[in-house]
Amino acid sequence: MSAHNRGTELDLSWISKIQVNHPAVLRRAEQIQARRTVKKEWQAAWLLKAVTFIDLTTLSGDDTSSNIQRLCYKAKYPIREDLLKALNMHDKGITTAAVCVYPARVCDAVKALKAAGCNIPVASVAAGFPAGQTHLKTRLEEIRLAVEDGATEIDVVINRSLVLTGQWEALYDEIRQFRKACGEAHLKTILATGELGTLTNVYKASMIAMMADFIKTSTGKETVNATFPVAIVMLRAIRDFFWKTGNKIGFKPAGGIRSAKDSLAWLSLVKEELGDEWLKPELFRIGASTLLSDIERQIYHHVTGRYAAYHDLPMS
Amino acid sequence: MAATRAGPRAREIFTSLEYGPVPESHACALAWLDTQDRCLGHYVNGKWLKPEHRNSVPCQDPITENLASCLQAQAEDVAAAVEAARMAFKGWSAHPGVVRAQHLTRLAEVIQKHQRLLWTLESLVTGRAVREVRDGDVQLAQQLLHYHAIQASTQEEALAGWEPMGVIGLILPPTFSFLEMMWRICPALAVGCTVVALVPPASPAPLLLAQLAGELGPFPGILNVLSGPASLVPILASQPGIRKVAFCGAPEEGRALRRSLAGECAELGLALGTESLLLLTDTADVDSAVEGVVDAAWSDRGPGGLRLLIQESVWDEAMRRLQERMGRLRSGRGLDGAVDMGARGAAACDLVQRFVREAQSQGAQVFQAGDVPSERPFYPPTLVSNLPPASPCAQVEVPWPVVVASPFRTAKEALLVANGTPRGGSASVWSERLGQALELGYGLQVGTVWINAHGLRDPSVPTGGCKESGCSWHGGPDGLYEYLRPSGTPARLSCLSKNLNYDTFGLAVPSTLPAGPEIGPSPAPPYGLFVGGRFQAPGARSSRPIRDSSGNLHGYVAEGGAKDIRGAVEAAHQAFPGWAGQSPGARAALLWALAAALERRKSTLASRLERQGAELKAAEAEVELSARRLRAWGARVQAQGHTLQVAGLRGPVLRLREPLGVLAVVCPDEWPLLAFVSLLAPALAYGNTVVMVPSAACPLLALEVCQDMATVFPAGLANVVTGDRDHLTRCLALHQDVQAMWYFGSAQGSQFVEWASAGNLKPVWASRGCPRAWDQEAEGAGPELGLRVARTKALWLPMGD
Repeated sequence: MSAHNRGTELDLSWISKIQVNHPAVLRRAEQIQARRTVKKEWQAAWLLKAVTFIDLTTLSGDDTSSNIQRLCYKAKYPIREDLLKALNMHDKGITTAAVCVYPARVCDAVKALKAAGCNIPVASVAAGFPAGQTHLKTRLEEIRLAVEDGATEIDVVINRSLVLTGQWEALYDEIRQFRKACGEAHLKTILATGELGTLTNVYKASMIAMMADFIKTSTGKETVNATFPVAIVMLRAIRDFFWKTGNKIGFKPAGGIRSAKDSLAWLSLVKEELGDEWLKPELFRIGASTLLSDIERQIYHHVTGRYAAYHDLPMS
Repeated sequence: MAATRAGPRAREIFTSLEYGPVPESHACALAWLDTQDRCLGHYVNGKWLKPEHRNSVPCQDPITENLASCLQAQAEDVAAAVEAARMAFKGWSAHPGVVRAQHLTRLAEVIQKHQRLLWTLESLVTGRAVREVRDGDVQLAQQLLHYHAIQASTQEEALAGWEPMGVIGLILPPTFSFLEMMWRICPALAVGCTVVALVPPASPAPLLLAQLAGELGPFPGILNVLSGPASLVPILASQPGIRKVAFCGAPEEGRALRRSLAGECAELGLALGTESLLLLTDTADVDSAVEGVVDAAWSDRGPGGLRLLIQESVWDEAMRRLQERMGRLRSGRGLDGAVDMGARGAAACDLVQRFVREAQSQGAQVFQAGDVPSERPFYPPTLVSNLPPASPCAQVEVPWPVVVASPFRTAKEALLVANGTPRGGSASVWSERLGQALELGYGLQVGTVWINAHGLRDPSVPTGGCKESGCSWHGGPDGLYEYLRPSGTPARLSCLSKNLNYDTFGLAVPSTLPAGPEIGPSPAPPYGLFVGGRFQAPGARSSRPIRDSSGNLHGYVAEGGAKDIRGAVEAAHQAFPGWAGQSPGARAALLWALAAALERRKSTLASRLERQGAELKAAEAEVELSARRLRAWGARVQAQGHTLQVAGLRGPVLRLREPLGVLAVVCPDEWPLLAFVSLLAPALAYGNTVVMVPSAACPLLALEVCQDMATVFPAGLANVVTGDRDHLTRCLALHQDVQAMWYFGSAQGSQFVEWASAGNLKPVWASRGCPRAWDQEAEGAGPELGLRVARTKALWLPMGD
């Protein structure tokens, strides 16, 4: 990841006048999927690019070191080697952007990746994931422990109650403390947009969170996760923030992104709203667990002209 | 493993992440053209008509490719098509609505089954982005058929008292011909009319649709499509079988057609121009408003350009976002699935090049951006700003794909600027403040207003315009009435008088001399022109004698002239905002007060009617009926306007009935009191202000009513000018600031009024010398008056938070 976002002083005037029109954003979200598609080589290349944006994730109660190990190996070899060769892409070092696990599994992941001989970063969720309803002190401690264990990226959830009650300064302070607790690790702030009530709140929370660092849509545990309308609002906030400060803030949709087609739509969404400079792992991630296997199936079809059977592709 | 299919470019694309071509196959469109041997004729009476010895023009896609040749129709082909439609009309209109509904539903099903052919053909030939044709036009076409099938099936109850007009001549523009045709043929066919459509050469999609409809079987002649040049328009319009001409196209052509059809048999409905308007206030969600601009001008959704008004305080921000967004627009072949805009051919390209060049020379700044092929006929999205408001370019219609941006300071000023053009098509208002949005939405003089959206369409929502955009409607209930006429009214005949000289009609006023002293009962009748709430001396300072039925002098009335008309229209305009702003209840109360005053004056009025030859009983009945009419319209207007619910939109669409403005009414000679009141009452009830020319034979009764109006009404509401009928008609018909005109009088006068209305394209209603039974409910106070007395506005209110 690029250099840290050094943060910005809190400026509430940036969010005081904001207007987000819900039905208009919904219409835009519908359109954006119909107006851009890619086919053939373009589709294959875009899908491979999408692979490099994936934070390959497992966040289950039953995670153990064995499935973490499998996940890490898949992160290192996301697409079958012969398929990459057929596309002449085998020397591009295509891996996922990171693996993302619970704090207790960070050690397993670090070990597995080391064994696989690669430096894919390990991201850990933290700060009372997924609800954020624990004491600030334990949330900060959780971050520190995850960093100690070797996580270099920390995905924290914000305290939704601060958004819903409009306590923007308190929210800003909390995120700054998270930022400090991360030390050298990168911070991604999960807004849990499904629980913020309105798109206007999504915009405001995005602005506040960006005064700290990277923003992420959701935990994957809310009833509504990464949706296009929410993403449009967050991306517009990112652009406004960039215009105000010159800082490029990263974006990570997560939750519910399962199909290769979805991932293409997300890429074109970012390309349309922010531009090509955001299409790199430092500024764009997709949090997903099953997406990768669908992308691999599509690549298989592109290369061979056949649809793959379950056993044709290695599991993650 | 099977052979590798991957191309060599994946590596480069992986780095650049560029978009690639997403070509949609047009094989089926070409195959269809092959079934016609690449030579398209006309589709008439369920058969292809390919007469010999006709000129043909090439049918090209907008880029280069020659697809087929199109035979150009000639006058005899037009006559054949009209005859086929006339024959088909007998059967089609005689069937119960349910049968027509079934037929329309079957056509919708056929479209659904062959939609790929339709959308590839339309996109291939017009060059519009296939996405819009596929997801927009073709879907809307089916919805239109389904909606109008439902209307047809309930026609006998819901539209009782109306009958289909007959054969409709439909004239379509080169762009959007398929969709514009669907908007018009659906209501026409639903109510029982049959159609002859004239499409510009090289528009195969309407022909394909006619073929699909024709092959359905039992009613072959109901939809006939001819392709031919613009020179055929007057020939089609003046065919004796044609009952109505629905014209959709350029304003100047519409104006010319209005003139040439004056006095002809066919009625004329105009839908002119393509420009739209977008108002961006400082409380708007600017990013979403920018998407609205894209929807309006740069997405192949709308046919024309856009006038963009931006509040000064958000000007910089809006322009920055707009320019940023423009950089991401893509243009290319219409059949590419990932472009925003296609190309529209050489003519459109020339038009916009000329406009932009002129704008630049007049001092405007031009910004162009986007991923656009550099060669003709592609043209990049264009944003013009700083165009001086007084420059010639600022007055003309903005062509596709141009957006002309200009600033405004307050909502009030926005309305002044927005309403300051002769066009009145559609507009959108972007504001997050409900009160402000509604204020602007109600204040804009246009046919459609979208709040925080742009370009939404639905079959159940009437779409149309006002001012010089023409006043014809399609969709919703209003679209149906376009093709209906009150049952039992005499057929509209041609009243064309070839030797009517438009330059001299009513120009000179024959001078009148004193005819002796007035003999009659006291009190003496009121004297003067009733303008601005009081009786005034005429500018000409002369009078004309009025005789009673036995030839004796009944009294003198003032001789009004051009200056008096000007004064009366001014007075009416001054009174208009206040009157239109009143609630219907308040307006009704004043009408009721006038009714009461008439009843008090009953004996005077009846004796005046008696002197004009009426029986006393009949005279009293006329006074009573007049009072009843006033009360009835007062009551009727209170149940106006309603809410529509539209599929796919959360929130209501309001169908508003707004006053026209200043309405000029030339009353018939007969029924000097009743006709006057029957016309006055609905006009005032709906919030119009009026300038009336009373019965020429007996204006004294109207003047008696004026005495009451002087005490009951605010000044200027109703103005009554007596004098030479033809002269006053001429002055009113040529007045550019009169919003509508009703003329009940001679055939020649009607022809003149129709001709003169081309000036500001005011809607006219001319009786063409046919008398009306004013004492009958249907003709004296029927729904036809209610339709003509107000204009519709559709106000879209999407909701959500």
